[in-house]
Amino acid sequence: MRDVYAIGVGITSFSRLDYPLTEIACYPALMAMKDCGIHKIDHVYVANMGASRLNRQTGLASAVVDSLSLTPAGAEAIENGPASGASAIKQGFMAVASGMNDVVMVIGAERMREVNNLDATDFVATLSHPLAEYIYGVTLPALAGMFTRLYMEKYGVTERHLAMVAVKNHANALLNPFAHLRQPITLAGILDSPEAMTNNPYVAEPLRFFDCCPVSDGGACIILACADVAKKLKKPLVRLAGVGQATDTLAVHERVSPTDLTAVKLSSQKAFRMAGREPSDVSVAELHDAFTILEIVESEEVGFFEKGAGHLALERGETQIGGRLPINTSGGLKAKGHPVGATGVGQAHEIVLQLRGEAGKRQVKNARVGFTCNFGGFGNNVVSLVFVRE
Amino acid sequence: MQREIYAYKCKKCGHLHYPYRMVCRECKENGYNEFEAVPLPHKGKILTFTRVHNLPAEFDVAILQLGIVELENGLRILGQLAMEHPKIGMAVEGKVEIVRCAEYEKNYGMVFYEA
Repeated sequence: MRDVYAIGVGITSFSRLDYPLTEIACYPALMAMKDCGIHKIDHVYVANMGASRLNRQTGLASAVVDSLSLTPAGAEAIENGPASGASAIKQGFMAVASGMNDVVMVIGAERMREVNNLDATDFVATLSHPLAEYIYGVTLPALAGMFTRLYMEKYGVTERHLAMVAVKNHANALLNPFAHLRQPITLAGILDSPEAMTNNPYVAEPLRFFDCCPVSDGGACIILACADVAKKLKKPLVRLAGVGQATDTLAVHERVSPTDLTAVKLSSQKAFRMAGREPSDVSVAELHDAFTILEIVESEEVGFFEKGAGHLALERGETQIGGRLPINTSGGLKAKGHPVGATGVGQAHEIVLQLRGEAGKRQVKNARVGFTCNFGGFGNNVVSLVFVRE
Repeated sequence: MQREIYAYKCKKCGHLHYPYRMVCRECKENGYNEFEAVPLPHKGKILTFTRVHNLPAEFDVAILQLGIVELENGLRILGQLAMEHPKIGMAVEGKVEIVRCAEYEKNYGMVFYEA
């Protein structure tokens, strides 16, 4: 396999965007081409989950490659639920590593605010088991709520720990001009004060409003290239060193231990093995915190902390900027936003900035190894990536 | 006719599955349709639950209670919970009822009551 480098990145604001999906995909692509100065692209991958249902648009990759005037480059859309982004990066990695292509563009784009919040929630819920989950009225917050209650019972995680994740990630998002929720929150405001129940009502008990990510529009792009191309550029070299993917049962109740996220564990082990690195080597990580509980549990499954100890590391401040292992410096899905198909590419965008030293006020000092976990379904399809600064 | 929700027993190794799948998770050796449908037991205990406040449009209720129930034979099922105050470990008994009503079809599923 050839080495694969991340040479260019771009992103839109994750928020409500008033322009069409094709443009949401194209703006970050233009930024990424400007970032690396390369306009000759061999192949375009577009990660997206909802275009056909939310935006009545299919064949998104064909629209994007044409609008960018990159034809006759190859192009296809990748749909793998909320893990579409990292799945598309994996496809791009394989294309360059195999020698089939020298320069590929991976875009993630989603326009969810075209429908109202309940319709968006129902759309995402269609990735649950059609007969054993969806028909009962299951939503992703519902699955996360049941998971959280069990986790609290077993490991002593409390609503305060969940709120601490939200407060940390909102604070990080204030340092990220592209984040969706740029709103400072406090434990008093969302948990302790008499107004907290009004400010922060239950969505799927025990999860509250500020435990759940927003519904976002947004796009992100990363350009991958072989060493010959990457080493001619004047940017710091960031190598995509490890890629891992694993799956689990579609129905959550069928898992041997419903508090384990086995696919997170296995996908990250694969990614670290390929990269020749350990979880302890990681200087900055973007984890898929669609719900606050997930940041805590993924930090354990990835191997940053012992099982059941993630919330204790959070309490000690280890995962905030300036801590031992900053997690979700971008604000995470929680506050940066979660345009489902774009999220995995957005995570990689943050890690590339961090490893180049270009993350501005949220920069982690001497970041050398970065990690992303992109979580599809309720943990049934997970893609993990390891990036290394050379 | 009494409606049932079925578990699927592998004809090769006897492993029980719910929901239906094409290949046995245990022996991975059964051929096409080599499962025997066995009605799920209705009695079990609540493993975990949630009360959902933001629901899809077809649900004309303020709050929907969902839970995962561990059934007598060890299989688990996700269902709706009809009791007022669900608790982890509560003994429950399920009835097969309409759980979702869309314009074009009615979906039947398990609704659990306090036993």
